[in-house]
Amino acid sequence: MTKEEAQGATEEEQQAQSKKGQKKQQKEAEKAAKKAEKQAKLAAEQQSTEEDDFAKDRYGMPAMVQSQQKLDRALVRVQDLTPERADQLIWLRARVHTSRAKGKQCFLVLRQQQFNVQALVAVGDRASKQMVKFAANITKESIVDVEAAVRKVEQKIESCSQQDVELHIERIFVVSQAEARLPLQLDDAVRPEAVGEEEGRATVNQDTKLDNRVIDLRTTTSQAIFRLQSGVCQLFRDTLTTKGFVEIQTPKIISAASEGGANVFTVSYFKTSAYLAQSPQLYKQMCICADFEKVFCVGPVFRAEDSNTHRHLTEFVGLDIEMAFNYHYHEVIDSITDTMVQIFKGLRDNFQTEIQTVNKQFPSEPFKFLEPTLRLEFTEGVAMLREAGVEMGDEEDLSTPNEKLLGRLVKEKYDTDFYVLDKYPLAVRPFYTMPDPSDPKYSNSYDMFMRGEEILSGAQRVHDAQLLTERATHHQIDLEKIKAYIDSFRYGAPPHGGGGIGLERVCMLYLGLHNVRQTSMFPRDPKRLTP
Amino acid sequence: MPMYQVKPVCGGDIKIDLPSCMYKLPNVHAQQGNSCTSEHALQNGEVDPAVKALEARQDEIMRKLYELKAAVEGLAKTVTTPDADLDLTVISSLSSPTFSSTTLKGTTDLDTLLGKDHGALRDIVINANPAQPPLTLLVLHSLLCQRYRVLSTVHVHSSVASVPPQLLSCLGPRHADSYARQLFQLGFTLIWKDVPKLQMKFSIQNMCPIEGEANVARFLFKLLAPYPGDAALATSVDSWVDTAFFQLVEGSAKEQAAVLRALNSALGRSPWLVGPEFSLADVACYCCLLRSGSASVAPANVQRWLKSCENVGHFGSAKALLQ
Repeated sequence: MTKEEAQGATEEEQQAQSKKGQKKQQKEAEKAAKKAEKQAKLAAEQQSTEEDDFAKDRYGMPAMVQSQQKLDRALVRVQDLTPERADQLIWLRARVHTSRAKGKQCFLVLRQQQFNVQALVAVGDRASKQMVKFAANITKESIVDVEAAVRKVEQKIESCSQQDVELHIERIFVVSQAEARLPLQLDDAVRPEAVGEEEGRATVNQDTKLDNRVIDLRTTTSQAIFRLQSGVCQLFRDTLTTKGFVEIQTPKIISAASEGGANVFTVSYFKTSAYLAQSPQLYKQMCICADFEKVFCVGPVFRAEDSNTHRHLTEFVGLDIEMAFNYHYHEVIDSITDTMVQIFKGLRDNFQTEIQTVNKQFPSEPFKFLEPTLRLEFTEGVAMLREAGVEMGDEEDLSTPNEKLLGRLVKEKYDTDFYVLDKYPLAVRPFYTMPDPSDPKYSNSYDMFMRGEEILSGAQRVHDAQLLTERATHHQIDLEKIKAYIDSFRYGAPPHGGGGIGLERVCMLYLGLHNVRQTSMFPRDPKRLTP
Repeated sequence: MPMYQVKPVCGGDIKIDLPSCMYKLPNVHAQQGNSCTSEHALQNGEVDPAVKALEARQDEIMRKLYELKAAVEGLAKTVTTPDADLDLTVISSLSSPTFSSTTLKGTTDLDTLLGKDHGALRDIVINANPAQPPLTLLVLHSLLCQRYRVLSTVHVHSSVASVPPQLLSCLGPRHADSYARQLFQLGFTLIWKDVPKLQMKFSIQNMCPIEGEANVARFLFKLLAPYPGDAALATSVDSWVDTAFFQLVEGSAKEQAAVLRALNSALGRSPWLVGPEFSLADVACYCCLLRSGSASVAPANVQRWLKSCENVGHFGSAKALLQ
């Protein structure tokens, strides 16, 4: 390369640079010009908007409700918005589920618990452009007070629960604003885990839902589940009260572990320690010995089991029953199964909306049962399993897969999801279970199953202090620790039996859900302590 | 000549049998004439167990031999000639035991008919629609209870809101021992359910569900008495059962009238529908006739036959349900 050429090259470079530089300068100039234009436009718009806003007092963000004044305003519930109210002007308070602006209109979906309705803000003589813009910018989940006219629609609005009407908004105020970024979207939380064309769309996984439980509980599915759970509790109480049972409250801080020392939480109790009750067993029985004859209690149960399964919680609500009987413990079984059947009937007859809502996100077979409840004996269950190819001993307890298989076999033969398995072997039951009178290998104990999973374990209890001492010794339990328990049977105790169910598990199995955390409002398990 | 003659003290012609043997012992090889179980008594009078076992083995072997002989004869018949000489008289003599015979052993029959008992109660599950109660099955249930220890239960399925009380008590009062399921040989579980057609489930592993009241009736009847061995009679029974269910119950008025005429002529020839014995055909026709409502307008023979059916008993529950 010669100097001249090199020089030529640099010259070219310089020329290129200058060309580039020119181009750059040109571009920057254009950009600046555009920006200036835009700003001018905005300023002009703003001026114009500020000038034209005639609806300024019909929207906005009022001061926080600190009970400044007592308004006698009647707010209508969204579920009451039906064609009968057409053309009425009403006030309501709801959440903004979605808002979508479209030119001179803004469509909002207003939600209240399981019900939602479409609302519309349109530029006209009642609403201005700024009002529509404001409505479009309200963040999701904000709570708003709305004054609107109810209007009938010709075409049904499929996506809302109130399908025949829509609201034409005249006034809209934000009572409580939600932050712009939500940790999860409600629509995603309600979306079923669909296979096929819907695969690409997002769903929320369980841990996220549980971490932001407050928002997750607002979904229609959660609302339905917990209303159903409330119904279960209500039916339980009502059925038993009609049968003459008395509701009792038992202590949860106790001095000795009731079911066995391994799975119990210890709390520090002043200078010593105490335990959290694993079940109200001991106190239920003491009430029977105290002549209450038929008792039930609803309260928390604490089990320190390090089981991270789909059906175990460390704290759950236990519904427990105990009753004295006359001659045969089947009187107790009949009473308990009748209570369960009444609960199932009550849910079937009164909670169909809730069941359908849950089914939309979690499809499952409806729950089937027989009245009176099917009762099979343990030996029969073992024979059915053996016929199906399972090998097991006569006195062996049923493992979880075997229980599920037996549930399927029973479902196939009798078409019921709920049944009782009676006469379990004595060796696998706790020490206070009454042995069978004719065959010492078996006991007067029973388990109840829903959809192949165990929900209740119960038995006739030993009501004789001497036999109880013998059985406890046989199970190598320290008699000192249960002295108070044995003492309660020394002064005349009637023959009695009972059992307990877990509220969350019953709801989960009735609805055909797959994880008990979905039916526990703020679940507790070995890995979760908050919220 | 003797000096003094004395009259003889005893007669002179007494025959004395002098024994030839000094000491006698019982014969070890002697046959015991009357008793068929041969008990060889030893010197101390006890029976030798080894000999007993030997005899038992011998009996067993003889029995097996006879069975084998029968089997071989049967096989020979099929192998030798295509139209083996079937002796009709032999076959008809092997026909079913009569209904009223009570010399039937309960459990062993069930083992052969339904398979070995695994420890579970042999439970027959029948799903019926409360709108069409199965009358024949109620009658057969009553007959079954007479023959076996039957645990009967009635359930209402959740698909049905409620049933009238007589449907709940149609199987009779609850058995006193019903809390101990293993005391029973057979279970009869009737479930009132919203099903389009009556359905029976028995053994999930080996049997598919059986549909139709006629088919379930045939199954239950076979637990009581085997079908007549004569093919013609057996087909006749089946034919009447089908006529009852298809034409009497589901047929038009014309078909029902035709069936009544056929019944009348059949009953003119014999006291029961099929031969001289009460059979499933009579149960089925009675119940279907009752259900169709034309019992009152039936001809004379049929009326007489209806009365005789009622005399047999077991039809009370069916009649009560139709009230």
